Amino acid sequence: MTYSCCLVPRDVLARLSSDPSLSATSRKAFLDTIQISHEMRDLRVQATRMTSVAFAHATALTALALAPSVTIYDCKGTQSLPGTPVPNPGKAADPAAKRVFGTTSEVAEFFAKVFGRNSIDGEGMTLMSSVHFGQRYNNAMWNGLQMIYGDGDGQIFVDFTAGTDVIAHELTHGVTQHSLQLDYSDEPGGLNESMSDCFGSMFRQWKLKQDVTQADWLIGADILGPAAKAKGFTCLRDMADPAGRHCLSPQPTLYAQVRPGMDPHAASGPPNLAFCTAAKTLGGKSWDQVGQIWYAALTGWGARPKTGMKDFAARTRQLAQTMYPGAPPVAAAVDAGWRKVGL
Amino acid sequence: MDRLTIERIGGFAGFGGSRLKSRGEVSLSDLAPADRDAVERLLADLPGSAAAQGGAAPRTGAADAFSYRLTVQSPDGPKTVEAPEHLVPSAVRDSVRDTLD
Repeated sequence: MTYSCCLVPRDVLARLSSDPSLSATSRKAFLDTIQISHEMRDLRVQATRMTSVAFAHATALTALALAPSVTIYDCKGTQSLPGTPVPNPGKAADPAAKRVFGTTSEVAEFFAKVFGRNSIDGEGMTLMSSVHFGQRYNNAMWNGLQMIYGDGDGQIFVDFTAGTDVIAHELTHGVTQHSLQLDYSDEPGGLNESMSDCFGSMFRQWKLKQDVTQADWLIGADILGPAAKAKGFTCLRDMADPAGRHCLSPQPTLYAQVRPGMDPHAASGPPNLAFCTAAKTLGGKSWDQVGQIWYAALTGWGARPKTGMKDFAARTRQLAQTMYPGAPPVAAAVDAGWRKVGL
Repeated sequence: MDRLTIERIGGFAGFGGSRLKSRGEVSLSDLAPADRDAVERLLADLPGSAAAQGGAAPRTGAADAFSYRLTVQSPDGPKTVEAPEHLVPSAVRDSVRDTLD
């Protein structure tokens, strides 16, 4: 696998390969490294494609581990992945490394206990994260193989590892990659983002032992910095009120407002509101029934990268009836959720 | 033709929306030759360009990654391409400033 790969930015290698102050041997070495890096990137793409093939044909494989290992790396302000390993991260002096280790372990426990899933791939895949990525980097992401967290600029955002929902959001992108395999553009992209927000919020509620009335349904509330808070923003997104003035990244609320080419983080508004409405209509804990339906729609349907929101809504409606045949309020709640957004 | 305007979009926070922006500007002539070549490849439909490597699409399997919208003025009007972060030179990436609108 590519886990041992340390990717130096291509532009740095290109600059060094044409630096006249370096020897011809050195310049050629850098040129060779560009080619190797290119091949490594192809390998990463291939690894993702391999996910699809393995998903379709590897039912006889045994699990890597009964529970996933959690590994943490430190990029030390560079964008060189994965960075250096953090030994014994559960007792690390670095708060970010310790926090990511602890929360990632809890997210793995959440998926295992609540949904019976062994890690991202269902087979005990090691959960790998890199912290302190880049300088004042305002982002967290899943790159197809691992989680990556920036420190934030300290003004608009603080350390992205401060949000438990952020960490669960990124891990859920991995689950999506190993299940429905949704594309990352247009409606499938919006659904992809929504899955991560739904399970990110559910994890936060599970960790805080909140029912649907106690939950705030906010995404990114814990990573907003002082400049954002001073302007009255309280979150990035609000699953209960996607267009709210308190949202730093407001979203559409209706399916009819979703447009081709829209950023997936905007297009996720309607399915986020549908999930939140369904859970609040039914009451209780979000992960008990509505969460189970969403999980079954995400993981029990094979790989369907082009799944649109209408298809996903229909699937969850169908699952509500087949999974809870003796409980009509469940199907009614799911129906109410999708009707709220015009589906 | 020399002025390159940059907008960073996407990411977990959804930069490029109505309230959260990330923008910058550089002169192509101020860039190191290798960086200028990289930008010109991104702007041109040449082998190795952003378009040839999937345009604005992020790496397969990647989620929440940034993309960069690069615009130059040409005799035919503004020309804009979107490129995933790993294809954009650091001198260009580092020119953007995140702001609240």
